[in-house]
Amino acid sequence: MKKFRQRVQSLLINSFALPSDVILELPRITVIGQIHVYIENHQGLVTYSDTELKLKVNKGYVQIKGNSFVLKMMLPEEILLEGTITDIKFLSN
Amino acid sequence: MRQVQGTFFSGYVTILVKGNYPELFFQECTKKGITVWNIRKVEQDACEGNVRLKDISHLRLIIRGTHYKLTFINKKGYPFIFNRFIKKRPLLLAIFLSVLLAFFLSNILWKVEITGVPKDIEEKIIKQLDEYGIHRGAWMFSIDQPNLIQQKLVEDVPELLWVGVNQRGTTYSLEGVEKLIVKEEEKQGPRNLIATKKGVIKKMYVAKGLPMVQVNDYVEPGDLLVSGKISSNDQEEESEKEKEKKVNYVAAEGEITAETWYEVKVASPIEYSYEELTGNKETKYYIQIADFKFPVWGFGDPEYEQIHYDTKVSSINFLKWELPIKIVDTVLSEKVSYKGERTKEEAIQTGMEQARSELLLKLGKDAKIMSEKVLHERMENGKVKMNIIFTVEENIARVQPIK
Repeated sequence: MKKFRQRVQSLLINSFALPSDVILELPRITVIGQIHVYIENHQGLVTYSDTELKLKVNKGYVQIKGNSFVLKMMLPEEILLEGTITDIKFLSN
Repeated sequence: MRQVQGTFFSGYVTILVKGNYPELFFQECTKKGITVWNIRKVEQDACEGNVRLKDISHLRLIIRGTHYKLTFINKKGYPFIFNRFIKKRPLLLAIFLSVLLAFFLSNILWKVEITGVPKDIEEKIIKQLDEYGIHRGAWMFSIDQPNLIQQKLVEDVPELLWVGVNQRGTTYSLEGVEKLIVKEEEKQGPRNLIATKKGVIKKMYVAKGLPMVQVNDYVEPGDLLVSGKISSNDQEEESEKEKEKKVNYVAAEGEITAETWYEVKVASPIEYSYEELTGNKETKYYIQIADFKFPVWGFGDPEYEQIHYDTKVSSINFLKWELPIKIVDTVLSEKVSYKGERTKEEAIQTGMEQARSELLLKLGKDAKIMSEKVLHERMENGKVKMNIIFTVEENIARVQPIK
Protein backbone atom coordinates (compact mmCIF):
# COMPACT_ATOMS: atom_id res chain seq x y z
CA MET A 1 0.00 0.00 0.00
CA LYS A 2 2.73 2.38 0.97
CA LYS A 3 4.64 1.55 -2.16
CA PHE A 4 1.58 2.17 -4.23
CA ARG A 5 1.14 5.59 -2.66
CA GLN A 6 4.74 6.49 -3.31
CA ARG A 7 4.40 5.46 -6.91
CA VAL A 8 1.27 7.54 -7.34
CA GLN A 9 3.00 10.50 -5.79
CA SER A 10 6.03 10.31 -8.02
CA LEU A 11 3.70 9.87 -11.00
CA LEU A 12 1.82 13.00 -10.08
CA ILE A 13 5.02 14.98 -9.65
CA ASN A 14 6.64 13.77 -12.83
CA SER A 15 3.77 13.67 -15.27
CA PHE A 16 1.50 16.45 -14.02
CA ALA A 17 4.25 18.83 -12.90
CA LEU A 18 2.57 19.38 -9.54
CA PRO A 19 4.79 21.03 -6.96
CA SER A 20 6.50 18.46 -4.80
CA ASP A 21 5.98 20.31 -1.52
CA VAL A 22 2.23 20.01 -1.86
CA ILE A 23 2.20 16.37 -2.75
CA LEU A 24 4.79 15.19 -0.27
CA GLU A 25 3.86 17.56 2.56
CA LEU A 26 7.41 18.82 2.70
CA PRO A 27 8.39 22.26 3.90
CA ARG A 28 9.11 24.93 1.32
CA ILE A 29 11.95 27.08 2.49
CA THR A 30 12.71 30.31 0.75
CA VAL A 31 15.96 31.99 1.67
CA ILE A 32 16.64 35.55 0.69
CA GLY A 33 20.33 36.18 0.93
CA GLN A 34 21.44 35.96 4.49
CA ILE A 35 18.66 38.02 5.95
CA HIS A 36 15.33 36.27 5.46
CA VAL A 37 14.07 32.74 5.67
CA TYR A 38 10.52 31.96 4.80
CA ILE A 39 9.32 28.51 5.83
CA GLU A 40 5.97 27.22 4.70
CA ASN A 41 4.26 24.01 5.49
CA HIS A 42 5.97 23.35 8.81
CA GLN A 43 4.32 21.51 11.62
CA GLY A 44 5.17 23.57 14.61
CA LEU A 45 7.82 25.53 16.39
CA VAL A 46 10.06 23.59 18.70
CA THR A 47 12.65 26.04 19.92
CA TYR A 48 13.19 29.66 19.20
CA SER A 49 15.85 31.92 20.58
CA ASP A 50 17.98 34.83 19.46
CA THR A 51 20.38 32.51 17.65
CA GLU A 52 18.39 29.42 16.79
CA LEU A 53 15.09 28.38 15.28
CA LYS A 54 13.96 24.79 15.18
CA LEU A 55 10.81 23.75 13.40
CA LYS A 56 9.12 20.42 13.18
CA VAL A 57 8.53 19.28 9.63
CA ASN A 58 7.37 16.06 8.05
CA LYS A 59 9.82 13.35 9.19
CA GLY A 60 12.26 15.47 11.13
CA TYR A 61 13.26 19.01 11.99
CA VAL A 62 14.69 22.04 10.29
CA GLN A 63 17.27 23.91 12.30
CA ILE A 64 18.29 27.42 11.34
CA LYS A 65 21.20 29.08 13.06
CA GLY A 66 22.46 32.60 13.05
CA ASN A 67 22.09 35.66 15.22
CA SER A 68 19.72 38.51 16.09
CA PHE A 69 16.69 36.48 15.05
CA VAL A 70 13.29 38.06 14.94
CA LEU A 71 10.15 36.23 13.89
CA LYS A 72 8.72 38.81 11.56
CA MET A 73 5.47 36.98 11.17
CA MET A 74 3.88 33.84 12.43
CA LEU A 75 0.91 32.20 10.76
CA PRO A 76 -0.42 28.69 11.40
CA GLU A 77 1.90 27.00 8.88
CA GLU A 78 4.24 29.78 7.87
CA ILE A 79 7.07 31.57 9.55
CA LEU A 80 9.10 34.50 8.34
CA LEU A 81 12.43 34.75 10.08
CA GLU A 82 14.67 37.78 9.95
CA GLY A 83 18.24 38.02 11.11
CA THR A 84 21.68 36.99 9.99
CA ILE A 85 21.51 33.38 8.90
CA THR A 86 24.56 31.19 9.04
CA ASP A 87 23.24 27.66 8.52
CA ILE A 88 20.13 25.72 7.67
CA LYS A 89 20.20 22.10 8.73
CA PHE A 90 17.84 19.16 8.26
CA LEU A 91 17.74 16.87 11.25
CA SER A 92 16.09 13.53 11.05
CA ASN A 93 14.17 12.09 13.98
CA MET B 1 3.44 40.70 5.34
CA ARG B 2 -0.06 41.36 4.07
CA GLN B 3 -1.43 40.08 7.35
CA VAL B 4 0.09 42.85 9.38
CA GLN B 5 -0.81 45.64 7.02
CA GLY B 6 -3.16 48.21 8.40
CA THR B 7 -2.56 47.18 11.97
CA PHE B 8 -1.76 50.75 12.81
CA PHE B 9 -5.36 51.67 12.22
CA SER B 10 -6.89 48.79 14.11
CA GLY B 11 -4.34 49.12 16.90
CA TYR B 12 -1.90 46.59 18.26
CA VAL B 13 -0.12 45.79 21.51
CA THR B 14 3.27 44.40 22.29
CA ILE B 15 3.04 41.63 24.83
CA LEU B 16 5.74 40.10 26.94
CA VAL B 17 5.38 36.44 27.81
CA LYS B 18 7.35 35.00 30.70
CA GLY B 19 7.79 31.35 31.53
CA ASN B 20 9.62 28.30 30.26
CA TYR B 21 9.74 28.12 26.50
CA PRO B 22 7.78 31.33 25.93
CA GLU B 23 7.95 30.84 22.16
CA LEU B 24 5.60 27.94 22.49
CA PHE B 25 2.95 30.27 23.71
CA PHE B 26 3.13 32.13 20.42
CA GLN B 27 3.02 28.83 18.62
CA GLU B 28 -0.24 28.18 20.45
CA CYS B 29 -1.54 31.54 19.43
CA THR B 30 -0.91 30.98 15.72
CA LYS B 31 -2.64 27.64 15.93
CA LYS B 32 -5.73 29.43 17.23
CA GLY B 33 -5.55 31.78 14.29
CA ILE B 34 -4.09 34.79 16.04
CA THR B 35 -1.51 36.54 13.93
CA VAL B 36 1.66 37.35 15.84
CA TRP B 37 4.52 39.33 14.42
CA ASN B 38 7.88 40.77 15.38
CA ILE B 39 8.57 38.05 17.88
CA ARG B 40 11.81 38.56 19.71
CA LYS B 41 13.37 36.54 22.42
CA VAL B 42 14.50 39.00 25.01
CA GLU B 43 15.71 36.56 27.62
CA GLN B 44 15.88 32.85 28.06
CA ASP B 45 12.44 32.83 29.64
CA ALA B 46 10.92 35.94 28.13
CA CYS B 47 9.60 36.63 24.67
CA GLU B 48 7.83 39.62 23.23
CA GLY B 49 5.63 39.96 20.20
CA ASN B 50 2.88 42.04 18.66
CA VAL B 51 -0.76 41.07 18.51
CA ARG B 52 -3.80 42.86 17.25
CA LEU B 53 -5.95 44.76 19.69
CA LYS B 54 -9.04 42.73 18.82
CA ASP B 55 -7.22 39.44 19.50
CA ILE B 56 -6.48 40.26 23.12
CA SER B 57 -9.65 38.65 24.44
CA HIS B 58 -8.69 35.37 22.67
CA LEU B 59 -5.24 35.71 24.17
CA ARG B 60 -6.66 35.66 27.66
CA LEU B 61 -8.46 32.41 26.90
CA ILE B 62 -5.21 30.81 25.80
CA ILE B 63 -3.22 32.02 28.76
CA ARG B 64 -5.73 30.53 31.15
CA GLY B 65 -4.49 27.21 32.50
CA THR B 66 -0.86 27.71 31.45
CA HIS B 67 2.09 28.77 33.53
CA TYR B 68 2.88 31.77 31.31
CA LYS B 69 2.73 35.29 32.61
CA LEU B 70 1.53 37.92 30.24
CA THR B 71 2.32 41.64 30.44
CA PHE B 72 1.50 44.37 28.04
CA ILE B 73 4.46 46.55 27.40
CA ASN B 74 3.43 48.81 24.55
CA LYS B 75 0.27 50.06 22.95
CA LYS B 76 0.35 51.43 19.46
CA GLY B 77 -2.02 52.50 16.76
CA TYR B 78 -4.83 54.77 16.02
CA PRO B 79 -7.31 53.67 18.71
CA PHE B 80 -4.83 54.46 21.43
CA ILE B 81 -3.87 57.77 19.93
CA PHE B 82 -7.52 58.59 19.65
CA ASN B 83 -8.17 57.66 23.26
CA ARG B 84 -5.27 59.70 24.43
CA PHE B 85 -6.53 62.58 22.41
CA ILE B 86 -10.04 62.27 23.81
CA LYS B 87 -8.66 62.40 27.29
CA LYS B 88 -7.09 65.80 26.67
CA ARG B 89 -10.16 67.86 27.35
CA PRO B 90 -8.61 71.32 27.08
CA LEU B 91 -7.13 70.54 23.68
CA LEU B 92 -10.40 69.17 22.47
CA LEU B 93 -12.24 72.18 23.74
CA ALA B 94 -9.75 74.49 22.09
CA ILE B 95 -10.15 72.76 18.75
CA PHE B 96 -13.88 72.91 19.02
CA LEU B 97 -13.77 76.57 19.94
CA SER B 98 -11.42 77.46 17.13
CA VAL B 99 -13.62 75.72 14.59
CA LEU B 100 -16.56 77.55 16.05
CA LEU B 101 -14.68 80.80 15.86
CA ALA B 102 -13.70 80.27 12.25
CA PHE B 103 -17.29 79.41 11.57
CA PHE B 104 -18.51 82.47 13.39
CA LEU B 105 -16.09 84.78 11.67
CA SER B 106 -16.90 83.47 8.24
CA ASN B 107 -20.51 84.36 8.77
CA ILE B 108 -19.85 87.94 9.65
CA LEU B 109 -19.84 90.75 7.16
CA TRP B 110 -16.37 92.17 7.08
CA LYS B 111 -16.40 94.68 4.33
CA VAL B 112 -18.85 96.77 2.37
CA GLU B 113 -17.42 97.95 -0.88
CA ILE B 114 -19.08 100.60 -2.92
CA THR B 115 -17.79 101.44 -6.34
CA GLY B 116 -18.85 103.53 -9.26
CA VAL B 117 -20.51 106.42 -7.43
CA PRO B 118 -19.21 109.73 -6.08
CA LYS B 119 -18.48 110.19 -2.40
CA ASP B 120 -21.71 111.90 -1.42
CA ILE B 121 -23.88 109.19 -2.87
CA GLU B 122 -21.62 106.60 -1.34
CA GLU B 123 -22.31 108.18 2.05
CA LYS B 124 -26.00 108.01 1.37
CA ILE B 125 -25.80 104.40 0.38
CA ILE B 126 -23.82 103.57 3.51
CA LYS B 127 -26.42 105.29 5.62
CA GLN B 128 -29.20 103.48 3.86
CA LEU B 129 -27.41 100.14 4.22
CA ASP B 130 -26.98 100.84 7.90
CA GLU B 131 -30.71 101.11 8.15
CA TYR B 132 -31.11 97.70 6.56
CA GLY B 133 -28.63 96.36 9.09
CA ILE B 134 -25.78 95.99 6.66
CA HIS B 135 -22.57 97.28 8.15
CA ARG B 136 -19.23 95.90 9.13
CA GLY B 137 -19.65 93.22 11.76
CA ALA B 138 -23.22 92.40 10.88
CA TRP B 139 -24.38 88.85 11.22
CA MET B 140 -24.87 87.27 7.78
CA PHE B 141 -28.06 85.48 8.60
CA SER B 142 -29.86 88.66 9.50
CA ILE B 143 -29.16 90.19 6.12
CA ASP B 144 -31.66 90.00 3.33
CA GLN B 145 -30.87 88.47 0.00
CA PRO B 146 -28.73 90.67 -2.28
CA ASN B 147 -31.43 91.07 -4.90
CA LEU B 148 -33.87 92.35 -2.29
CA ILE B 149 -31.33 94.88 -1.10
CA GLN B 150 -30.75 95.87 -4.66
CA GLN B 151 -34.42 96.67 -5.11
CA LYS B 152 -34.70 98.50 -1.83
CA LEU B 153 -31.62 100.59 -2.46
CA VAL B 154 -32.79 101.74 -5.84
CA GLU B 155 -36.10 102.73 -4.31
CA ASP B 156 -34.64 104.48 -1.30
CA VAL B 157 -31.73 106.29 -2.90
CA PRO B 158 -33.27 108.34 -5.67
CA GLU B 159 -29.90 109.29 -7.12
CA LEU B 160 -29.18 105.73 -8.05
CA LEU B 161 -30.11 104.52 -11.46
CA TRP B 162 -29.01 100.99 -10.83
CA VAL B 163 -27.07 99.18 -8.20
CA GLY B 164 -25.58 95.73 -8.36
CA VAL B 165 -25.28 94.02 -5.02
CA ASN B 166 -22.95 91.10 -4.85
CA GLN B 167 -22.01 89.01 -1.90
CA ARG B 168 -18.59 87.47 -2.15
CA GLY B 169 -17.84 85.55 0.98
CA THR B 170 -17.62 88.05 3.79
CA THR B 171 -17.59 91.03 1.47
CA TYR B 172 -20.54 92.91 0.18
CA SER B 173 -19.69 94.73 -2.97
CA LEU B 174 -22.02 97.26 -4.42
CA GLU B 175 -21.61 98.70 -7.83
CA GLY B 176 -23.69 101.75 -8.38
CA VAL B 177 -24.61 103.75 -11.41
CA GLU B 178 -25.58 107.31 -10.74
CA LYS B 179 -28.67 108.75 -12.27
CA LEU B 180 -27.49 111.64 -14.33
CA ILE B 181 -29.98 114.21 -15.41
CA VAL B 182 -28.94 114.36 -18.97
CA LYS B 183 -29.75 117.60 -20.65
CA GLU B 184 -31.31 117.19 -24.00
CA GLU B 185 -28.79 117.12 -26.68
CA GLU B 186 -27.88 120.62 -27.65
CA LYS B 187 -27.55 119.90 -31.26
CA GLN B 188 -30.45 118.09 -32.69
CA GLY B 189 -30.73 117.12 -36.26
CA PRO B 190 -33.59 118.41 -38.34
CA ARG B 191 -36.75 116.55 -37.65
CA ASN B 192 -40.49 116.48 -38.16
CA LEU B 193 -43.27 115.58 -35.82
CA ILE B 194 -45.67 112.98 -37.12
CA ALA B 195 -48.82 111.43 -35.78
CA THR B 196 -48.72 108.05 -34.12
CA LYS B 197 -52.44 107.48 -33.92
CA LYS B 198 -55.53 108.53 -35.70
CA GLY B 199 -57.50 111.23 -34.00
CA VAL B 200 -58.89 114.69 -34.06
CA ILE B 201 -56.50 117.40 -32.99
CA LYS B 202 -57.68 119.33 -29.98
CA LYS B 203 -54.75 121.39 -28.87
CA MET B 204 -51.50 122.37 -30.47
CA TYR B 205 -48.44 123.82 -28.96
CA VAL B 206 -45.59 124.17 -31.39
CA ALA B 207 -42.31 125.41 -30.02
CA LYS B 208 -40.30 125.04 -33.18
CA GLY B 209 -41.19 124.17 -36.68
CA LEU B 210 -43.96 124.79 -39.10
CA PRO B 211 -47.39 123.43 -38.13
CA MET B 212 -48.96 121.52 -40.99
CA VAL B 213 -52.33 120.77 -39.38
CA GLN B 214 -54.91 122.74 -37.48
CA VAL B 215 -57.13 122.16 -34.51
CA ASN B 216 -60.08 119.91 -35.35
CA ASP B 217 -58.20 118.29 -38.22
CA TYR B 218 -58.46 114.55 -38.50
CA VAL B 219 -55.11 112.84 -38.78
CA GLU B 220 -54.06 109.30 -39.60
CA PRO B 221 -50.94 107.64 -38.19
CA GLY B 222 -47.85 108.85 -40.05
CA ASP B 223 -49.35 112.20 -41.05
CA LEU B 224 -47.03 115.14 -40.83
CA LEU B 225 -47.97 117.38 -37.92
CA VAL B 226 -45.12 119.80 -37.58
CA SER B 227 -42.56 120.20 -40.30
CA GLY B 228 -38.95 120.91 -39.56
CA LYS B 229 -38.47 122.41 -42.98
CA ILE B 230 -38.97 126.15 -42.92
CA SER B 231 -38.72 128.26 -46.01
CA SER B 232 -38.34 131.97 -45.60
CA ASN B 233 -41.48 133.61 -46.91
CA ASP B 234 -40.44 137.24 -46.92
CA GLN B 235 -38.89 137.17 -50.35
CA GLU B 236 -41.61 135.64 -52.36
CA GLU B 237 -40.44 136.97 -55.62
CA GLU B 238 -37.32 134.90 -55.60
CA SER B 239 -37.07 132.14 -58.04
CA GLU B 240 -37.84 128.59 -57.17
CA LYS B 241 -34.23 127.59 -57.32
CA GLU B 242 -33.09 130.20 -54.89
CA LYS B 243 -35.95 129.35 -52.64
CA GLU B 244 -34.67 125.89 -52.37
CA LYS B 245 -31.38 127.22 -51.11
CA LYS B 246 -33.03 129.33 -48.45
CA VAL B 247 -34.79 126.41 -46.86
CA ASN B 248 -33.93 126.05 -43.23
CA TYR B 249 -34.12 122.85 -41.34
CA VAL B 250 -34.96 122.88 -37.66
CA ALA B 251 -35.69 120.29 -35.05
CA ALA B 252 -39.43 120.50 -34.71
CA GLU B 253 -40.64 120.56 -31.19
CA GLY B 254 -44.09 120.66 -29.75
CA GLU B 255 -47.02 118.93 -28.27
CA ILE B 256 -49.99 117.93 -30.29
CA THR B 257 -52.90 116.77 -28.22
CA ALA B 258 -55.53 114.89 -30.05
CA GLU B 259 -58.70 113.10 -29.26
CA THR B 260 -58.35 109.38 -29.83
CA TRP B 261 -60.69 106.46 -29.40
CA TYR B 262 -60.21 103.08 -27.91
CA GLU B 263 -62.51 100.14 -27.73
CA VAL B 264 -61.88 97.98 -24.71
CA LYS B 265 -63.37 94.59 -24.03
CA VAL B 266 -63.70 93.53 -20.43
CA ALA B 267 -65.28 90.62 -18.62
CA SER B 268 -66.28 91.10 -15.04
CA PRO B 269 -67.39 88.07 -13.04
CA ILE B 270 -70.45 88.19 -10.83
CA GLU B 271 -68.78 85.92 -8.32
CA TYR B 272 -65.45 86.97 -7.05
CA SER B 273 -62.90 85.73 -4.58
CA TYR B 274 -59.87 87.16 -2.90
CA GLU B 275 -57.38 86.18 -0.25
CA GLU B 276 -56.36 88.06 2.82
CA LEU B 277 -53.76 87.41 5.49
CA THR B 278 -55.21 87.48 8.97
CA GLY B 279 -51.97 88.50 10.63
CA ASN B 280 -51.57 85.25 12.54
CA LYS B 281 -48.27 83.75 11.71
CA GLU B 282 -45.73 81.28 12.92
CA THR B 283 -42.08 80.92 12.04
CA LYS B 284 -40.34 77.62 11.58
CA TYR B 285 -36.65 77.05 11.33
CA TYR B 286 -35.01 74.20 9.53
CA ILE B 287 -31.51 73.07 8.83
CA GLN B 288 -31.35 71.91 5.27
CA ILE B 289 -28.75 69.39 4.24
CA ALA B 290 -29.00 68.69 0.54
CA ASP B 291 -32.70 68.06 0.05
CA PHE B 292 -33.42 67.00 3.57
CA LYS B 293 -34.92 69.53 5.93
CA PHE B 294 -34.36 69.02 9.59
CA PRO B 295 -36.69 71.03 11.83
CA VAL B 296 -34.94 72.98 14.54
CA TRP B 297 -37.60 75.25 15.88
CA GLY B 298 -41.34 75.32 15.45
CA PHE B 299 -42.76 71.82 15.44
CA GLY B 300 -46.19 70.83 14.34
CA ASP B 301 -48.35 72.67 11.90
CA PRO B 302 -50.46 75.55 13.08
CA GLU B 303 -54.17 75.02 12.87
CA TYR B 304 -54.74 77.38 10.03
CA GLU B 305 -57.12 76.40 7.34
CA GLN B 306 -55.14 77.99 4.61
CA ILE B 307 -51.49 78.83 4.83
CA HIS B 308 -49.31 81.18 2.91
CA TYR B 309 -45.69 80.08 2.94
CA ASP B 310 -42.83 82.51 2.80
CA THR B 311 -39.44 80.82 2.81
CA LYS B 312 -36.03 82.35 3.17
CA VAL B 313 -32.90 80.28 2.69
CA SER B 314 -29.57 81.49 4.02
CA SER B 315 -26.44 79.51 3.46
CA ILE B 316 -23.65 79.03 5.95
CA ASN B 317 -20.07 79.73 5.06
CA PHE B 318 -16.97 78.18 6.39
CA LEU B 319 -13.90 80.18 5.48
CA LYS B 320 -14.35 80.70 1.77
CA TRP B 321 -16.59 77.74 1.08
CA GLU B 322 -20.30 77.63 1.16
CA LEU B 323 -21.38 74.69 3.23
CA PRO B 324 -24.06 72.38 1.90
CA ILE B 325 -25.94 73.11 5.09
CA LYS B 326 -28.49 75.85 4.89
CA ILE B 327 -30.70 77.54 7.39
CA VAL B 328 -34.25 77.83 6.22
CA ASP B 329 -36.84 79.88 7.93
CA THR B 330 -40.39 79.62 6.82
CA VAL B 331 -43.10 82.00 7.86
CA LEU B 332 -46.49 80.41 7.84
CA SER B 333 -49.18 83.04 7.67
CA GLU B 334 -52.83 82.31 8.01
CA LYS B 335 -54.85 83.36 5.05
CA VAL B 336 -58.54 83.56 4.55
CA SER B 337 -60.17 83.54 1.19
CA TYR B 338 -63.39 85.38 0.73
CA LYS B 339 -66.01 84.78 -1.85
CA GLY B 340 -68.66 87.22 -2.74
CA GLU B 341 -71.32 87.97 -5.27
CA ARG B 342 -71.94 91.23 -6.97
CA THR B 343 -75.04 92.58 -8.53
CA LYS B 344 -74.91 93.21 -12.23
CA GLU B 345 -74.53 96.94 -11.67
CA GLU B 346 -71.61 96.40 -9.35
CA ALA B 347 -70.01 94.05 -11.83
CA ILE B 348 -70.34 96.66 -14.54
CA GLN B 349 -68.84 99.22 -12.21
CA THR B 350 -65.79 97.12 -11.45
CA GLY B 351 -65.46 96.21 -15.11
CA MET B 352 -65.42 99.86 -16.05
CA GLU B 353 -62.91 100.59 -13.34
CA GLN B 354 -60.71 97.81 -14.59
CA ALA B 355 -60.95 98.91 -18.18
CA ARG B 356 -60.09 102.49 -17.23
CA SER B 357 -57.03 101.60 -15.24
CA GLU B 358 -55.88 99.17 -17.90
CA LEU B 359 -56.18 101.79 -20.58
CA LEU B 360 -54.37 104.43 -18.57
CA LEU B 361 -51.63 101.98 -17.80
CA LYS B 362 -51.20 101.38 -21.50
CA LEU B 363 -51.25 105.01 -22.54
CA GLY B 364 -49.14 106.53 -19.81
CA LYS B 365 -49.85 109.26 -17.34
CA ASP B 366 -50.25 112.07 -19.85
CA ALA B 367 -53.42 110.65 -21.27
CA LYS B 368 -56.76 111.85 -20.02
CA ILE B 369 -60.02 110.01 -20.39
CA MET B 370 -62.61 112.44 -21.63
CA SER B 371 -65.65 110.24 -21.96
CA GLU B 372 -66.63 106.63 -21.93
CA LYS B 373 -69.54 104.74 -23.34
CA VAL B 374 -70.65 101.17 -22.97
CA LEU B 375 -71.41 99.95 -26.45
CA HIS B 376 -72.57 96.52 -25.64
CA GLU B 377 -73.05 94.36 -22.59
CA ARG B 378 -74.19 90.82 -22.08
CA MET B 379 -74.27 88.15 -19.40
CA GLU B 380 -72.33 85.02 -20.20
CA ASN B 381 -71.20 82.17 -17.91
CA GLY B 382 -71.63 84.25 -14.80
CA LYS B 383 -69.71 87.14 -16.24
CA VAL B 384 -70.71 90.47 -17.58
CA LYS B 385 -68.96 91.07 -20.85
CA MET B 386 -68.73 94.62 -22.06
CA ASN B 387 -67.39 96.57 -24.97
CA ILE B 388 -66.55 100.07 -23.90
CA ILE B 389 -65.42 102.92 -26.05
CA PHE B 390 -63.22 105.54 -24.49
CA THR B 391 -62.43 108.96 -25.78
CA VAL B 392 -58.99 110.00 -24.70
CA GLU B 393 -56.93 113.10 -25.09
CA GLU B 394 -53.25 112.44 -25.46
CA ASN B 395 -50.11 113.58 -27.13
CA ILE B 396 -49.81 111.85 -30.47
CA ALA B 397 -46.67 113.53 -31.77
CA ARG B 398 -43.62 111.51 -32.53
CA VAL B 399 -40.23 112.62 -33.74
CA GLN B 400 -39.13 111.69 -37.21
CA PRO B 401 -35.74 112.84 -38.39
CA ILE B 402 -35.43 114.47 -41.79
CA LYS B 403 -32.85 112.80 -43.94
